Amino acid sequence: MATAPISLPTETARERPEWLDKLAGQALAILIAVVIALGLGSLIILGYGESPLTVYGAIFQFGFGTKDGFGYVLTEATPLIFSALAVAVCFKAGMFNIGVEGQYLVGMVTASWAALKLDFLPGPLLMWVVILFGMLGGIAFALVPAILKVRTGAHEVVTTIMMNGIAISLVAWALAGPLKFTTEAGGHTPNLRTDPFPPNARIPDLGHLFGIRSSVHLSWLFVGALVTAAIIWFVLKRSRLGYEGRAVGASAGSARAGGISIGSVQLRLFILSGALAGLVGMQQLLGDKNYLPIGYEAALGFTGIAVAFLGQNSAAGIVAAAIVWGVLARGETAVQIKTDVPREFVIILQGILIISVVVTYQLAKRRLLSRQLRRAATVEDFVDSSASADIEGMAQEDR
Amino acid sequence: MLAAVDAGSLRFGDIGAAIGIALTYFTIIYLTGLGGLFSERSGIVNIGLEGMMIIGTVTGSWGAHHFTLPPPEGLGWGLPWGPIMGLLIGMAAGAAFASIHALATVTFRVDHIVSGVVINLVAVGIARFLSTIFFGQATQSDPGQPALNPINIPLLSRIPWGLGGAFQQLSPMVVVAVLLVFPVWFALYRTRWGLRLRSCGENPEAARSLGVRVAPLRYEGVLLSGALAGLSGAFLAVEVTNAWQEGETQGLGFIALAALILSNWDPIRLMLAAFIFGFAQAIPLRLMDAPVLRLIPDPFVRMTPYIVTIVVLAGFVGKVRPPAAAGRAYEGGTT
Repeated sequence: MATAPISLPTETARERPEWLDKLAGQALAILIAVVIALGLGSLIILGYGESPLTVYGAIFQFGFGTKDGFGYVLTEATPLIFSALAVAVCFKAGMFNIGVEGQYLVGMVTASWAALKLDFLPGPLLMWVVILFGMLGGIAFALVPAILKVRTGAHEVVTTIMMNGIAISLVAWALAGPLKFTTEAGGHTPNLRTDPFPPNARIPDLGHLFGIRSSVHLSWLFVGALVTAAIIWFVLKRSRLGYEGRAVGASAGSARAGGISIGSVQLRLFILSGALAGLVGMQQLLGDKNYLPIGYEAALGFTGIAVAFLGQNSAAGIVAAAIVWGVLARGETAVQIKTDVPREFVIILQGILIISVVVTYQLAKRRLLSRQLRRAATVEDFVDSSASADIEGMAQEDR
Repeated sequence: MLAAVDAGSLRFGDIGAAIGIALTYFTIIYLTGLGGLFSERSGIVNIGLEGMMIIGTVTGSWGAHHFTLPPPEGLGWGLPWGPIMGLLIGMAAGAAFASIHALATVTFRVDHIVSGVVINLVAVGIARFLSTIFFGQATQSDPGQPALNPINIPLLSRIPWGLGGAFQQLSPMVVVAVLLVFPVWFALYRTRWGLRLRSCGENPEAARSLGVRVAPLRYEGVLLSGALAGLSGAFLAVEVTNAWQEGETQGLGFIALAALILSNWDPIRLMLAAFIFGFAQAIPLRLMDAPVLRLIPDPFVRMTPYIVTIVVLAGFVGKVRPPAAAGRAYEGGTT
């Protein structure tokens, strides 16, 4: 592209501001993806001889129909908000933290250690300390790939994948050794797990204020997730770190030329990401189980990546996407109870949805890019016909 | 297991057994790693290997179950069609599933990592869904699945002191995997196709300017990748565990990725890396009483492949160089 100073566009008839273009493109991409997913889902449902309306209606009704149902959806969404935010924070700076999975598992171990060993702490202080330890565990585990990336250039995707493998073994080791249960729950031998935590480590229940059953385990952590999302929105959009991160993500070369220390920005964002990842397991630990079980492979970190895509890496989008994911997760039971379609249908629906979102979003992005290129071509009023033909060619290939 | 009387023979017997287990793991890691090699050498990063293996496990197990009945008289040629069809179907299903990755990355130019993550996520769901169709339950198959007749390797299985045990009662697929290195090496380094495939991974623009059609070659690389990972998954379900169980791949797809990195994307070095990582998997199973090793808790032995890979990646030991264009979007149209 030529770098000549750009004069105002001569042709203003169909001018739209860029952000509106982008937003419209994103919304359209999501809409198309949802239509594709529901359409393909309908084909599967018809294959089982059911009516798509019945099935989708059942999913919707289970998620929003009753207070308990909606409470369950929000409970399900809570850890996903944290893990998707953790992914998004890195993504803004062009980094891919696939290690949220490992970071949250390690965060659960460090948090459990604090809950069991620091049980002398009074009242709600223990809960806060346990949460802090969870974040520290996530940070510690995120620091390894972060430092390696900044110091040696080792790609964070591969190192975080490897760190995930290490994390699973670390959890197994902790549960078999340092954190192994000492008191057996009455009667039968319990599965490998930690001792129950002191009651004051628990995050208080939120659901009962709204008449939601306590077995739904909707805790104040959901409010915490919303507040965290707001903070992350502020950090990414309004703070210096967020600005620098976005600059690095958009173009590392330009960011460096603009005086941004790339390594320092990447390191700080990775630490933030690790802290968020450390919060992912807290709903399970302190809101629900009150101990750390073995074989806890809920894949919340990987699901968080999907939710982050679905929410297009924006804080508000992520909250919405996590709730959608929660509705679908709740929908598994709905499908099983109300229809002849197996509950696994919902997982397929989630999969189709995420694939369509990724592809349509990519197409929307390219469309936007080609439009910008064409606009630039008209603005600069090329005399050099070969150059403009080149841009036209690129724009055509993008379609 | 060989009966052991004194301490010495016990150790050798255990080493033999560990090598035998390592060979089985080697097969899984090597086949999957070769899959990754074809994909990444063509320029498409594939972290979806684990997902492609998962699809191979569930479809392979179904194939082995479904074709157990003897074919009509005179058509079976006395072959064990159950396991053979299981392996072939797992392979085909892996390739079919990989076509999603190919479509996303080559045609739609979605980020390779994004697509790979999605592949892994979606595979778990598809496997469960297929399992309900195949077996009527979401997380495992029915028991009683046939396997290929195990073989003893001539000469090697006669090694005394129990070491020969490593080469007895092995799946024929282990031999197939070991021998696979010859055609793979030849195809990559001695054929026109291999040269073109590698050129797509190093510099697609230059390749295209010389008349190489990049996109079809990358499709072939990714589909081969899915076929090999699917075969590996089917081997696991048909020959090793004799059943489909959810989660039986245990992250071996990621270990294969680690071996691939360690091998510097070379099929011969990949054999060595796959065997070393396979042996690491066998240690907690057979050598837990061996001197020195007994002092290390199992989980730490299990995490060695990952640690080794991180150390190598960080450049503390040795140096690896991925195909230059792997992971980069290629803007040159779809031909």
